[in-house]
Amino acid sequence: MITFERFTLPNGLRVLFHKDETTPLAVVNILYNVGARDEVAEKTGFAHLFEHLMFGGSKNIESFDNPLQLAGGECNAFTNNDITNYYDMLPVQNLETAFWLESDRMLELAFTPKSLEVQRSVVIEEFKQRYLNQPYGDVWLLLRPLIYKSHPYQWATIGKEIAHIEQATMDDVKSFFFRYYSPDNAVLVVGGNTSLEHVRELSEKWFGEIPARGINNRNLKPEPPQQEERELQVEREVSSDALYMAFRMGSRMSPDHYTGDLASDILSRGKSSRLYHALISEKQLFSTLSAYISGGWEDGLFVVSGNLNPGVSFETARTEIWKELEKIATVAIEEKELTKVKNKFKTGKVFSEQSLMNRVMNIAFFEMMGKPDEINDELKKYDAVTADDIQHFCKRTFVKTNCSTLLIKAKK
Amino acid sequence: MNRSIAPEFKQAENLDLVLPEEIVLENGISLFWLRDVKDDSVRLDIEWFAGSKYQHKKLVAGFTNKLLLSGNSKKSARTISEEIDFYGGFIQDECDKDHAAITLYGLRENFRSIFNVFSEAMLNCEFPDKEFEEERTIALSRFKIDSDKVKYVCQRTFNTCMFGENHPYGMVADEPDFIQLTREDLQQFYKTHYLGTIPVLFLVGNVDKTVIDDLRQWSASMSSQKPVFVKRDVKPVPGRTEIAKPEAIQSAIRLGRIAVDKKHPDYFGLQLLDTILGGYFGSRLMTNIREDKGYTYGIGSSVAVLEDSAYFFISTEVAKEVKENTVHEIYAEFDRLKNELIPADELERVKNYMLGEFLRNSDGPGAMMESFKNIWFNKLPVSYYSDFIHAIHRITADDLKNLAQKYFVKDQMVEVIVG
Repeated sequence: MITFERFTLPNGLRVLFHKDETTPLAVVNILYNVGARDEVAEKTGFAHLFEHLMFGGSKNIESFDNPLQLAGGECNAFTNNDITNYYDMLPVQNLETAFWLESDRMLELAFTPKSLEVQRSVVIEEFKQRYLNQPYGDVWLLLRPLIYKSHPYQWATIGKEIAHIEQATMDDVKSFFFRYYSPDNAVLVVGGNTSLEHVRELSEKWFGEIPARGINNRNLKPEPPQQEERELQVEREVSSDALYMAFRMGSRMSPDHYTGDLASDILSRGKSSRLYHALISEKQLFSTLSAYISGGWEDGLFVVSGNLNPGVSFETARTEIWKELEKIATVAIEEKELTKVKNKFKTGKVFSEQSLMNRVMNIAFFEMMGKPDEINDELKKYDAVTADDIQHFCKRTFVKTNCSTLLIKAKK
Repeated sequence: MNRSIAPEFKQAENLDLVLPEEIVLENGISLFWLRDVKDDSVRLDIEWFAGSKYQHKKLVAGFTNKLLLSGNSKKSARTISEEIDFYGGFIQDECDKDHAAITLYGLRENFRSIFNVFSEAMLNCEFPDKEFEEERTIALSRFKIDSDKVKYVCQRTFNTCMFGENHPYGMVADEPDFIQLTREDLQQFYKTHYLGTIPVLFLVGNVDKTVIDDLRQWSASMSSQKPVFVKRDVKPVPGRTEIAKPEAIQSAIRLGRIAVDKKHPDYFGLQLLDTILGGYFGSRLMTNIREDKGYTYGIGSSVAVLEDSAYFFISTEVAKEVKENTVHEIYAEFDRLKNELIPADELERVKNYMLGEFLRNSDGPGAMMESFKNIWFNKLPVSYYSDFIHAIHRITADDLKNLAQKYFVKDQMVEVIVG
């Protein structure tokens, strides 16, 4: 059971407090309601580039990192298509240092030209290191536009291309900040051995005077249901052929999320899973094969991906994957197999909740999704999924016209 | 309110390490147990002296570790994983240069069942041909994919240059080694280094006595034989080794030298110096090469301590056209540390950061056990962490300048660039 208390400041900042008496550390997490989905098609990669700029000094404080490190803390952040999340971890007695730093960069950034110039280069190197200079690194740069034709999920968080990052201007930076980095567009979660009163006092002191700049009421048009089978084949300098199949499914907030997650576990979690047993062990068609869900907040994906063994054709590989997908969609799933994946989920959850950081971040996610009280219902929701639910989900999801396939052909 | 003034703060205080209870099982096998866990989680690490330095043929140690639950004529690998999965268990295998480990994760309610499946499979492993061939295919495919990564090639080459290609720490496998490996090699290694050498156990979980009884029973089937290993001299090859990859758009750089182990009087100071240079986000290398020049997404340094040797290294991936500039800046940072005293505010910041890091690394029973493992494997006094913290407080800018002069010697550096 993850417990928390809450209040909202007059400027709209939602503050949640999670007490943990067992740790000498505190976590301060700020989740901003902005992600790559809020970008326009001509200026992609901006939410993520902006996250880098948030460490380049704020209006009254030259460096974000130095004072935090001086107080024994460390921090990081990440951006995805849906949200941008910042977190600090430090000794609980120095909690105020994090409030001071986080509030000043929410108030206003320093907007120095040097910071923009350097972070553009850093992000370009990140683009190269993670997406271009890695085998199969550009897979999602290719898959997203194949799956999404109108929705902003068609670009990756890093951006469509390096040129978009090169072209970012200071005006872009400023307007992005004042549009999205607002107290009423954020959730602050504090975890540690302190009190709600203390958190309230610090929140009012440091965040209270920041003006509300408006909530990001995005109204994105949903991507229409896919009507045809899609395929893209490219050649790359890689050592083995690889295959990616993506199926549209419901979002993180939909019941599909739980059903789809368990279906992916039945298919590929661990060596006793179906895909591993049938296609890696028995038929020896793949050297890796996995199934997972994307968990997108707007729209979800069920992905099956793997590397082919030498001499195996794409045709054989695909036919055999389809056989397994059809089997799970048509043959009744035994209770024992379902219990197995539920038990594994339960163990994973207990271990993941040991971390204060994970608990705090999860509270922030659920609050931002608009259902904070459901954070403790996850186990119940997974438990409630039946074999029939999974079968129905698979039947309507694993359909050719709902599938986008990317084939990477090895040039070597 | 003046927002430019920082709130008051206090240095992180030392958290006392809670030491596990030691229970001696059969055959003199030690079990270290931390039972004060608030939730239902149970984690058991079984570590053997079966790392790659013990192998007489490349890849044997890693394959044996990976296939420890590959089954026998009575029970297949699939049935074994089916059963462990059914009880909600997770198994993790890990093999480094010195040790090989199996970790079991589960919940209290099923932990005995998980352990019993593991125990039976581990004691009766036959390394069936089918499972062996399957792992060979998977591992070779992974190896080929990794070989396209500049970072991976750089790391391999660096190890060879640092320790010598015939040293157990410097040896690396190539494609023919995957082909030449046989299941008999694995069976032999298993008999000698798993069944034939004493393991050590680390348990974190609020389990009842029956689990300890199970562990005791299992330990009776194991050996009390101590590991035998003859330490060999390292032969570093200082200077530049370059591997061209025309298709790469970034270059991987690794640069370093032999360092000292955790018992050496210079160790604590060297750790502090390493943190200043490249051990945290605000380090000199990050500030210069990422935050000022924008050459890279990340650069870092660390001191790696193995059982028989230790080394210091810097690693990064940079835009190809600035690789020489990067190497130049790394040496410029060495020179600054050798010639100038570290300013008081920077030194205070790094010390406080490290004290906070100690706190983060000992938060919770799992982290405490990791800290204890460090003490146990490196044969350190139980006062190691408090000694470390006292040393951090004591070390001066002059000490660090002397250490920089002693260790950051250009002629002794191994430099590898790939890409």
